[in-house]
Amino acid sequence: MEGHGAGTSTDGERDAWISLASAPGVGDRIFWALIAEHGGAKAAIRAVASGVGLTLPEVRIPTRTKDALAAVSRDPRRAHRRLEELDVWVVTPLDESYPDRLRILDPPPPVLYGWGAQGVLSADRAVAVVGTRRPTLEGRALTARICTRLVGVGVVVVSGLAIGIDGAAHAATMAAEGRTVAVVGGGHAHPGPRAHRQLLERMLRTGGAVVTEHAPDILPTRGTFPRRNRIISALGDATIVVEAPARSGALITARHALEQGRLVLAAPGRPGDVHTGGCLALLRETPARPLVGLDELVVDLGYDGDGRASRDAEGAAAHLSLEGALAMLGPVERAVARRLAQGPCGPDALVAATGLTAPVVSGAVTLLLLRGWIQAMGPAYLPSGPLLGADGR
Amino acid sequence: MLATLVTAVVHGLRGELIRVEVDVAPGLPICHIVGLPDAALSEARERVRSAIRNSGFEYPLSRITVNLAPADRRKHGAAYDLAIAVGILVASGQVRASTGGWALLGELSLSGDVRAVPGVLPMVATLARAGYRRVAVPAENVDEARLVAGLEASPVEGLDDAARLVAGPRGRRAGTATRRAGISVSGGAVAAESPDLTAVGGSVDLADIQGQAHARWALEVALAGGHNLLLIGSPGAGKTLLARAIPGLLPPLAPDEALEQTVIRSVAGRLKAEQGLISERPFRAPHHTISYAAMVGGGPHLSPGEVTLAHGGVLFLDELAEFDRDVLDALRQPLEDGTVEISRAHGSIRYPARVQLVAAMNPCRCGWAGDQQTMCRCPHGEPERYVRRVSGPLVDRLDLRVEMPRVPPTELVGERTAEASTAVAARIADARALARARNSGRPNAHLPGPAGVRACRLGPAERRLATELATRAGMTARGVHRVLRVARTIADLGSREAVTEADLLAAAGFRDPAATPSLAA
Repeated sequence: MEGHGAGTSTDGERDAWISLASAPGVGDRIFWALIAEHGGAKAAIRAVASGVGLTLPEVRIPTRTKDALAAVSRDPRRAHRRLEELDVWVVTPLDESYPDRLRILDPPPPVLYGWGAQGVLSADRAVAVVGTRRPTLEGRALTARICTRLVGVGVVVVSGLAIGIDGAAHAATMAAEGRTVAVVGGGHAHPGPRAHRQLLERMLRTGGAVVTEHAPDILPTRGTFPRRNRIISALGDATIVVEAPARSGALITARHALEQGRLVLAAPGRPGDVHTGGCLALLRETPARPLVGLDELVVDLGYDGDGRASRDAEGAAAHLSLEGALAMLGPVERAVARRLAQGPCGPDALVAATGLTAPVVSGAVTLLLLRGWIQAMGPAYLPSGPLLGADGR
Repeated sequence: MLATLVTAVVHGLRGELIRVEVDVAPGLPICHIVGLPDAALSEARERVRSAIRNSGFEYPLSRITVNLAPADRRKHGAAYDLAIAVGILVASGQVRASTGGWALLGELSLSGDVRAVPGVLPMVATLARAGYRRVAVPAENVDEARLVAGLEASPVEGLDDAARLVAGPRGRRAGTATRRAGISVSGGAVAAESPDLTAVGGSVDLADIQGQAHARWALEVALAGGHNLLLIGSPGAGKTLLARAIPGLLPPLAPDEALEQTVIRSVAGRLKAEQGLISERPFRAPHHTISYAAMVGGGPHLSPGEVTLAHGGVLFLDELAEFDRDVLDALRQPLEDGTVEISRAHGSIRYPARVQLVAAMNPCRCGWAGDQQTMCRCPHGEPERYVRRVSGPLVDRLDLRVEMPRVPPTELVGERTAEASTAVAARIADARALARARNSGRPNAHLPGPAGVRACRLGPAERRLATELATRAGMTARGVHRVLRVARTIADLGSREAVTEADLLAAAGFRDPAATPSLAA
């Protein structure tokens, strides 16, 4: 734990703060109401221990939560022991290091729990990249392209560790050697989907962080995911919705971002396409702006501070690196790679596009997979690594 | 008076000699059949009585005892009818048996006609081995019986024919007896062949299949090397269509295989009249509601199941995930050993079951996981579970997995003509011949690990590449051997002596069946 030191009065208050927030059922609403009523967390715990103080003027506390609060008042150190067991750090609004981006929330999460590098939350440049749990291959490829470019301009990518676009965003960021933050919907004893356990560990190894507003033993539920989306959007200077159908959690993130006064960019799709219906609705009904290209994206985010000339140079460099990378390949692999650089496709499309035979294409695909330039996804292959360098144009 | 005749019974794929003893003695008119008969055999007495009367003979008003020896062996079926009837005729003195033992096979109808019976080929073969030189078989089975050398098979159409044969040229009454002409109600003759429901109707030519270049190639490799193949794709991707092209791609059976296959069909009663030796490889496509016994064999007479009927050929399981778990589990032994053993209280039988498995399935319950146009409606995690359910029991035995996307409409209406089945079949036959010659008769898929490595004849560069592939892709030993076997087949298709680097890379381009499909990441 950080800031764990001399027993000054503020430190005692901070510890009480953490104990109080650890009670299951105590969300930010009840927490801040208790603080307001009793003037502090320590006072609130004392009041609960003496059997009074659970009747608040504005907020009704459910019986189960009252029991949980009573249990906390009997053993306030329990929450701290649990944090040490799981090696989770915490940061509260009382701390200097509480991310400024979260202070704009009303109310801010009373405690933020995390694994990994705490400093990454306050990075200069951070962008949330979100989308559906059931993306198309194009959606995945676009996510990878966006994240690769964002890493190129020094951005920390924030997302939700969910299956789909979220996972693709984290993976692509790390593939481009960038840092990434995941905001999960449950406590650290249940961090994200099991299928992403490896991804999570890699994030921590590469200087990223996994944070949540929930105490370690809180289970993720239907309700916690939309709530945590406000933290995702708050931690980013902007939110990019890559792909979202009409009903998608990504839209909630986007609405939070707009309420927080953040920029929202949505990748438009063809009208009538169910996979991007949500993005189009955002563009029509909200001030969200369309994402029209990676260069334009960087401009819209305001990360092109070095002026237009250098941006062109950067774009050219990206193209050069694609051409340079392609030059390293044999003629067959180059033909296959060139097609895949334009977007994901399956082996049949590769055969049709290159005019090569199926065995030859299969061999070329193996080589590209080995080099990490493409990855297999269902019946198709996605561009990856150097093949993401260009805009696919 | 006592008469003794010889017939045979089928047990597994082999016949066994059965002696039919008939005694006609004074007493109350009654007929006993002893020697562990089953229901169909017990009913023989009714068929025999009517057949004898309707053939112009007399049914003796005496005590008739029929013994089937050996007495401790359970007997089933109606193939003894003819022997019993002729035995009664001989024992009652209506027909005098000529010298030379006759073996008789056939079921009787009430009119005295002789009907075809299953398993004639192995039964006749047994009789030949036991030294019998003359056998009367139903006319419909005579082609099958004549496949056996060293004995004379005479077709009989009715009980009178059989009596004439047994009596010889000097027979007394047999010469004059004639069957009453039956009155046909339905008019035309009933079609002898009932449609074979499990065989996929109508073969498809590869030239008629648009797109799917990768899956076509995978099928070619699978058939050339005998590799078990799993096709995964959304509805309408063409999985079943592709499978229906298989019969046209399989090389014909070798002579020894042909005889074995003919015996199996004969025992299963699926040999059509006037069909001699089976030459085309079997292609069986049972429906996914198939029961355990129908798949591996069993039932009251331990009859062969689909895996045995597909012996030497292809067993195609469409909608693999919908099959009962028990049925799929039961496929382990045949896929591993090439045989299937059925054990029941009254005995156990081992049938040959060397099949090549071609299976097709949807990627998830709703079928649309991974599809680009239609959204999958399955709950999260369900597609992976769906695939794992079948991959569990079968994954070790699968060499190739192909994920088939839907063919884009532009290609469906396109004019591009695909390669025809005949050209592909020729390559497959050549590759199989190469593999057989090198592997002492085995297809590449049946090579055990080390033998597979040896068969590849890897050079130093290829060895390096194989090592790199294995380490970079994190392959298990099983995975390495799988890739080498497939590479060997790809080299065979190109008539290459040794496996090249290109073959290895192409082989590694196939998905590992053991890896769960990465629909989510």
